[in-house]
Amino acid sequence: MENLWFASALWIGLALIASVAQLWVAVSVALLEIVFGAVAGNVTNLTLTPWVNYLAGLGAILLTFLAGAEIDVKVIRRHFASSMSIGVVGFFAPYLGVLAYAHFVSGWPWPQAQIAGIALSTTSVAVVYAVMVETGFNRTEIGKVILAACFVNDLGTVLALGIVFANYNLWLVAFAAATITSMWLLPRFTSRLFAIMGTRVSEPQIKFVMLILFFLGGLAVTARSEAVLPAYLIGMVLAPIFLADKELTHRVRVITFTVLTPFYFLKAGSLVRADVIVVAASSILIFLAIKMATKFVSILPLTRIFRFEQREGMYTTLMMSTGLTFGSISALFGLTNHIIDERQYTILLTSVIASAVVPTLIAQRWFQPKFKPIDQEIATISEATASVKGKQGV
Amino acid sequence: MFSKILAANDGSPGAVRALGAAISLAKLHQAELHMITVEAIPHFPASIDEVEEERYEANHRFAPVIDSARNQAKAARVKIEIHLVPGHVIEGIVEFVKTHNVDLLVVGFMGHSQLYERIIGSTTDRLVRLAPCSVLVVK
Repeated sequence: MENLWFASALWIGLALIASVAQLWVAVSVALLEIVFGAVAGNVTNLTLTPWVNYLAGLGAILLTFLAGAEIDVKVIRRHFASSMSIGVVGFFAPYLGVLAYAHFVSGWPWPQAQIAGIALSTTSVAVVYAVMVETGFNRTEIGKVILAACFVNDLGTVLALGIVFANYNLWLVAFAAATITSMWLLPRFTSRLFAIMGTRVSEPQIKFVMLILFFLGGLAVTARSEAVLPAYLIGMVLAPIFLADKELTHRVRVITFTVLTPFYFLKAGSLVRADVIVVAASSILIFLAIKMATKFVSILPLTRIFRFEQREGMYTTLMMSTGLTFGSISALFGLTNHIIDERQYTILLTSVIASAVVPTLIAQRWFQPKFKPIDQEIATISEATASVKGKQGV
Repeated sequence: MFSKILAANDGSPGAVRALGAAISLAKLHQAELHMITVEAIPHFPASIDEVEEERYEANHRFAPVIDSARNQAKAARVKIEIHLVPGHVIEGIVEFVKTHNVDLLVVGFMGHSQLYERIIGSTTDRLVRLAPCSVLVVK
């Protein structure tokens, strides 16, 4: 479609349909955007223009930044041994297992197999978090350990994506130096800078963050690394500021989820080939099975060492077997950089989506531990009431 | 006859009528009155932000509903316990009924088109089928 505004209407129309459909099916809008993107990509001529690619890339960067900004480093410090060890083996076991299967059994060359390993090494912090909020586990120590382990696991994935395919030259040194310097400097002066800038409709605080992300992203791409790597790391060091300032986080989320991530998820879906799903269904299931099996072999014994009860151990292992966002980012990185082809991309993305659904359903159906604090703290209700009264001027 | 009554309230006109009936019944039977409001959490989200934004919106949407329910119960001189539960509407309400041994669930009737009923089914229908206690549907 050559008309820019008709093309825009088509993309945003698909995003709107996904948002409205969410009201009925109670599935996340991101997953629906992938599904609608896949349908549109196979049925209509959904062209990936440079501006669509730009908005989708920006969506991935901000989504990753927000994921990093959710990391509560205090929780990781408090449960360092358990969260680190579960997170680290939770990354390495599926990464190596899937890499070995893809290369030695499926015959994928090393770079393709690397993408497969990275895409299926992830854990979906968001899927885990949603289940925990629903069951009340986010308020327990075991819940905090699982979430912290998920963050560590994803950090492994993002680091692998940024390092494995990079060119080992001076640009990589410059990128590493700039990222480390930013990570050291930003926590020291950002709070004061934000206080000076103040809250304005022109959002200087958000522009400042985007400036850092774009500059480091530019260096990353020059070094053939991935722009989401600095985004996750910068999000991580700025997390205390964003966790404390809910309104600032809300404003970044609104910008990201309204006009950026729909392009990312619709694009990710539009590149899926329906015929491959049918033909390669067994490969999709095998990749999913290997991801889950390697997570089980590596994480379940650790839960015994850290004295989780049997049911809690199974629940933790299944939760750590989920995956969605970083899996899709990794697969799309492989396709965009011509490392994998559309067939391999379809297999990997479909396996990633299946890994969001299958382990969650098994965990909730058969292994939910007994603790189930169903009531939300009354404080939340009071806060919400007070907030609305404040807005209404009551 | 009823000792623990639960009114499900999503702020819709039907649910508000259901709450009114639940208050009257609680007064009549000297029963314990609870109200449940479920803040929906999407299945399989892609980011924590998606979950947090849903909860943020739900908290703001339901705050006046909760306030109004409190006032309605206070005016009728009936004590009400309000529960804002994160999760999925049907599962959340049914689970609450089970864990709190509720003996009467009061819900509002929401009319839909025949096509909608055929394809999606209504929340009321599913609650009547799945709740392990008597259910009063208020029209």
